Amino acid sequence: MPEILGASGLVVELGARRGLLRRRAGVRAVDGVDLSIDEGETFGIVGESGCGKTTLARALLGLQRESAGEIRLEGRTVSGLDPRAARRVREAVQYVHQDPGAALDPWWRVGATLAEGLAIHGITDRAEQRARIAETLAAVGLDAAMAERYPHELSGGQQRRIGLARILLLRPKVVILDEPTAGLDLSVQAAVLRLLRDLRARFGLTYVFISHDLSVVRRVCDRVAVMYLGRVVEHGSAATLFAEPRHPYTRALIAAAPHLDGRESGPSLPGDPPSLRAIPPGCRFHPRCAAATEACARREPVLEDAGPAHAVDCLRWRELAPEIPGRDAA
Amino acid sequence: MSPPVLQVEGLAVRLRGEGGVAEILDDVSLSVPRGGTLGVVGESGCGKSTLLRAILGILPRGAETPRGAILFEGRDILSDRAESARGRIGFVPQDPYLSLNPVFRAGDQILEIMRRHARGSRRDHRDRLVELFRAVQLPDPVAALRKYPHQFSGGQRQRLLIAAALACDPALVVADEPTTALDVTTQREILALLRGLVTERGLSLLFVTHDLGVLASVCTEVAVLYAGRVAEAGPTRAVLDAPRHPYTRMLLACHPDRATDLAGIPGTVPAATAQPTGCRFHPRCPIVHSGCAVEAPPMVSLGEGRAVACPWHEAALA
Repeated sequence: MPEILGASGLVVELGARRGLLRRRAGVRAVDGVDLSIDEGETFGIVGESGCGKTTLARALLGLQRESAGEIRLEGRTVSGLDPRAARRVREAVQYVHQDPGAALDPWWRVGATLAEGLAIHGITDRAEQRARIAETLAAVGLDAAMAERYPHELSGGQQRRIGLARILLLRPKVVILDEPTAGLDLSVQAAVLRLLRDLRARFGLTYVFISHDLSVVRRVCDRVAVMYLGRVVEHGSAATLFAEPRHPYTRALIAAAPHLDGRESGPSLPGDPPSLRAIPPGCRFHPRCAAATEACARREPVLEDAGPAHAVDCLRWRELAPEIPGRDAA
Repeated sequence: MSPPVLQVEGLAVRLRGEGGVAEILDDVSLSVPRGGTLGVVGESGCGKSTLLRAILGILPRGAETPRGAILFEGRDILSDRAESARGRIGFVPQDPYLSLNPVFRAGDQILEIMRRHARGSRRDHRDRLVELFRAVQLPDPVAALRKYPHQFSGGQRQRLLIAAALACDPALVVADEPTTALDVTTQREILALLRGLVTERGLSLLFVTHDLGVLASVCTEVAVLYAGRVAEAGPTRAVLDAPRHPYTRMLLACHPDRATDLAGIPGTVPAATAQPTGCRFHPRCPIVHSGCAVEAPPMVSLGEGRAVACPWHEAALA
């Protein structure tokens, strides 16, 4: 499958200000990320809060201007533009908000919110708007009468569906899903995941799936990238990554996810990620890493191939590899 | 065997609201043994929070006088709105970001609770709090007394709140989804801390959650709530490994660790103002029989401490 959305050396700086006399440096929320997302796949991005998942998504979308690096969409370079122009060339990329309830105007009927998106993208004919809205609502499994409701009359699952309908109306190619299952009950979550899978097949979509729920990511993603403090520390196919995690951080994340059988696997990860204002020298993960040596504090690792379609950003992954218990480490 | 710390018997709570009378809880019975951990699981709208509020004596104003009984250490605390149990039940809230007042020092907020409910002088309280901060593994416990809530991370705030719940030496700690607002790595640390406190201090814990994985790692006993009634209860391992109620079976089949296909459960949880007659799960149940809509099924004992509110619990799901 060819690449549909990609980035190389992407850097996003937040909070930088240029004053009269001096320039105040910002923090690098995304610091040198390379990504290549293939057409039709579900690409997962995981990591703790504050690791730069959402900033990366906003940069891919064009809402946040990149400070350096390149973004490619369908083979064309689309980076280096101001946000307004960036959104225009990236119409094919759309975003589903983390909290779809908060993304809906409480004073507007759902139908009006849906029609607004169409109007912005140049479809102003009322009859066509109505037809498209009815068709899309049916696609996400909602009744057309739902368009007459107000957001507070919808359940959490219905709000997610409206959030999806809202961007499907715009016929996107790539959909960025930011925590699509956060705050949903288990039974509703299963229904939403199934819907996402069906829509992907039906509309030929590519998903960027941002989540911190590893059981869900393992279940639905084809490939996964693990982020820590603005860097991708490991990426690979979901099957490989969960069976043979190489980076100590990936292993700790996988071990931390609670399991139905109540077993504990692997060491726990103490402490919180350091602030982006004080990124540790050398490997960014070394202050929390159980396997850190002196070299880790001095040398910065680079992503190395650890197998077919599997790369890891750790100086010691080769030495640490045999310690991994069994194949099914997760 | 000593009597349970907390025993809820036939609890029914009804709330009067704009949409009519909402039957939030109906005939709920459960018990937390001394030194034991009971998990209450259920999806949103099943009455978990109302159950907690009834136990803590903070039901909203619109509530009718509840029926049934809540026995805490053998005394009924439902009639006096838990007045006699003040300080004896500790509470760990859901969101560590919303539960501390940002303009007061964290230590002062907890010391205020202790002045109201715990014996001893201010100096005793302070010493005891430092010892508790050490027990919940806060870095630099003495300095933590003087810090403001924003100077702590999310995981540290949850540790503060656990210390606050323990401040008055409670017989029972009630936790309302204490890890939902946290990252998985932090969640694991907090769960390990709670487990440690249960074993070291002999705490009794009532733990409300919607996450079955979290349930498996903390609780030995479980009660599954659906639409305000207990659907199934028993030892956690047995219930998770071999669920019997159709609802529990379908809920577990939705878990990404278990699911063969992402099926979900058709339909939605009924509104509390329009509870179905008979078994409340019957409109969504794949093995519904004609009698299910008529009479509420009683709890059937299965032995080994298990019980299920379904007469058809041995039938295969269609």
